[in-house]
Amino acid sequence: MKIGRTLACIATAAGLVGGGAAAYLALRVTGVEGTSAMSVALGSVVSAALVAAATLLLGYAVDRRLGALRRSLLDKELADALSVGGTPHWLRPLVGAVVESRQSMAQETDRAVSRLREMEIRHRISETEREQIATILNGLRDAVLVTDPFDELIMANEPAARLFGFDLDRCVHTPIDEILHDEALSNLIRQARESATPSDRRHVEYVMSAQSGEGGVIRRPAHYDVTIASLACGAVGAPGSSGGAASGESSGGLVTILRDVTREKEISQMKSDFVSQVSHELRTPLSSINAYVEMLVDGEAKDEASRSEFYQIIKNEADRLGRLIDNMLNISRIEAGIVQVERSEVDFVQVAREAIEVMQPQAKLKNISLITKAGPLVYTAQADRDMIHQVVLNLVSNAVKYTPENGRVTVSIENDDATRSVMIAVSDTGLGIPPDDLGRIFDKFYRIDNYKRVAKGTGLGLNLVKHIVETVHMGQVGVSSKVGMGSRFWFTIPFVHEGRAAA
Amino acid sequence: MHVSKALVVDDEAHITHVVALKLRNAGFEVFTASDGEEAYEIACAELPDIVITDLQMPYMTGLELCEQLKRNTATEKIPAILLTARGHALSSDDLSKTNIREVLGKPFSPREVLSKAAAMLGVNLDESTGGIAA
Repeated sequence: MKIGRTLACIATAAGLVGGGAAAYLALRVTGVEGTSAMSVALGSVVSAALVAAATLLLGYAVDRRLGALRRSLLDKELADALSVGGTPHWLRPLVGAVVESRQSMAQETDRAVSRLREMEIRHRISETEREQIATILNGLRDAVLVTDPFDELIMANEPAARLFGFDLDRCVHTPIDEILHDEALSNLIRQARESATPSDRRHVEYVMSAQSGEGGVIRRPAHYDVTIASLACGAVGAPGSSGGAASGESSGGLVTILRDVTREKEISQMKSDFVSQVSHELRTPLSSINAYVEMLVDGEAKDEASRSEFYQIIKNEADRLGRLIDNMLNISRIEAGIVQVERSEVDFVQVAREAIEVMQPQAKLKNISLITKAGPLVYTAQADRDMIHQVVLNLVSNAVKYTPENGRVTVSIENDDATRSVMIAVSDTGLGIPPDDLGRIFDKFYRIDNYKRVAKGTGLGLNLVKHIVETVHMGQVGVSSKVGMGSRFWFTIPFVHEGRAAA
Repeated sequence: MHVSKALVVDDEAHITHVVALKLRNAGFEVFTASDGEEAYEIACAELPDIVITDLQMPYMTGLELCEQLKRNTATEKIPAILLTARGHALSSDDLSKTNIREVLGKPFSPREVLSKAAAMLGVNLDESTGGIAA
C-alpha cells in the first residue's frame, strides 16, 4: 500500500511538470489504496512514466504553438494599432512589408534554431565517433599518423607518439617534419601525397636507423613495413558521417601506418643463418665420406691397411653426421616445445657415475683420471633421467677431449640449498677457454677456432646442454675458465619441477 | 722430368689427406697445411705449381690466403682451386683479387680436383692409371 502511494506521488510530481493532465491519473492511482495488489503498483509506475513522457511532449508542442501564436498576435496588434490609430494611407504598404518581414524573420529564426539543434546532435555523434576511432587506433600495435593536404598532423595514435617521441595532445596541425625528425619518412609521406590518386595505397619498407630515444636510450635500427593510403580511398573514413568531410572532398590527406617488423626480420635472418650453418656442418662429414668412397671405387687405396683406414674414416664421418642430425633434431624439438619429457626422481650421483663409465675408455687412452666427488647426502631432483645423462655425458666428453694427457676430470655433485637445486660441476685440467669465447661457448655451432684441431665436434653439444637444463628443467648453466688452467662447467636442476614450459 | 708440386690446405685432416693421396698417386709432390697462415709460409718456401685450398679455415681463410699469394711477387702466378661448402658467398670481385681459377663445391670429387689441377698445369693424365703419363 505504501509503495502504491509513493509511486503515485512520483507520478503526480512527474505529471505536474508537464501540466495538469497527469493529476487525474495520479488521483485514480491513489484511489485504489484499498486494493493493495502489487500489479497495481507496477501499473502505476508504467502509467506514471507514460504520463510523464506524454505531458513532456505535450508541453513542448504547446509551448511551440503558444510562441508562434504570441508572435502572430503581436504582429496583428501592431498591424491593428497602425491601422486603427489612423495610419496614413501611404504608410500602410510599408507597415505590411514590416509585418511580413517580421514574420519571415521569425520563421527563419525557427529554422535556424532547429538547424542548430540538429548540428549539435551531429556534433555529439561525430565527437563520439572520433573518440571511438581514437580508442581503436590506440588499441593497435602499429603506429598510425593521419596527415592533411598540407602535410600537417591531424590525428595519430599512442604507438606513433611513443615511436617519434611527440605529445599527442599538442601536436595536432603541426607539420610532420617537426614531429617525425626523420627526413626519409617525411619525404616518403610528402611524395605519396603529391602523387596520390584516390585509390592509392602503397607499401614501403623503411629502416629507422639507430638513434637515441626518450631518456637517452639508444634504439636499435628498426625495420618497418609502411603502408601509406590516401584518405579519399576510405582507408580512414568516418563511418556514418554524412557531413562534408567524407570521401571525395578530403582527397590529399593520408594515413600512414608503420608496422614494426624488426623481430620478424631477425627471426627470418636467424633461420636462414641456421640453415646455411647446418648445411655447412652437414657437408663437411659428407665431403669426407664422398671423397673416401670415390677413392676406394677408383682403387686409390693400394693396400689392405689403407683400405681399412678409409673404411674407418667413412664409418667415423657417418657417425658424426648421425650425431649432428640427432643433436639438431633434439635442439629444435626443445626449441619448438614438442619434446617428450619424462620426469622422475633422478639420483644425480648415479647418473654421473654412468656417464663416467661411458667415457672411461676414451679417458684411459689419454691417461686422464675421471673422479666423482659427492658428499654422503642424497642428491635427487625431479628431472628427465635420459636428458640429464646426456648433459653430464656431453660435459664430461668435452672435458676429456680438451684435456691433455695425464690430466684430471672431476664431476662433483652437491645440493645448493639457496636455490633449492642440485648442482653438478665438471672441472678439468685442460686447455681452458679464452675470455673472448666464453660468452659464446653455448651458442649453436660455436667452436673455438684454435681448438678445432684438438678435437672434433658438432658445435651443438653445449647448446643442447643449455637447452636441456634451462628450457626443459628451468635450471641454470654456467662456465668459468682460465686459459692453460682448465675449465669448470656447472649446471643446476631445481629439486622440484614447478614450470610448465616445454613440457 | 719436372714433377708438379701441389699445396693442399684444409682444417679437416681427412680432406687434406684424401686430396694429397689422390695427387700423390697421380705423381704430384704434395705439401699439406691446416690453416691459411701455415699454408702461406709453405707456399713462400716451396713455391708450388698449384694451391688447392678450403675456404673456411681458422686464422686466415682460403680467400685471404689466395689474395696474399697474389700480392707477393714470388707467388703471384700460382693458380689455385678453392674447395668450399659456401660457393654462393663468393663474388666475382672477391675472386678477381686472387688467382683462383676453379671453385669446387663440397662434397667434392677427388677425381675432379685432380683433373682440374692437371688441366691447369697442362699435365697429361694417363687415363688407365689416373697417373701422369710418362
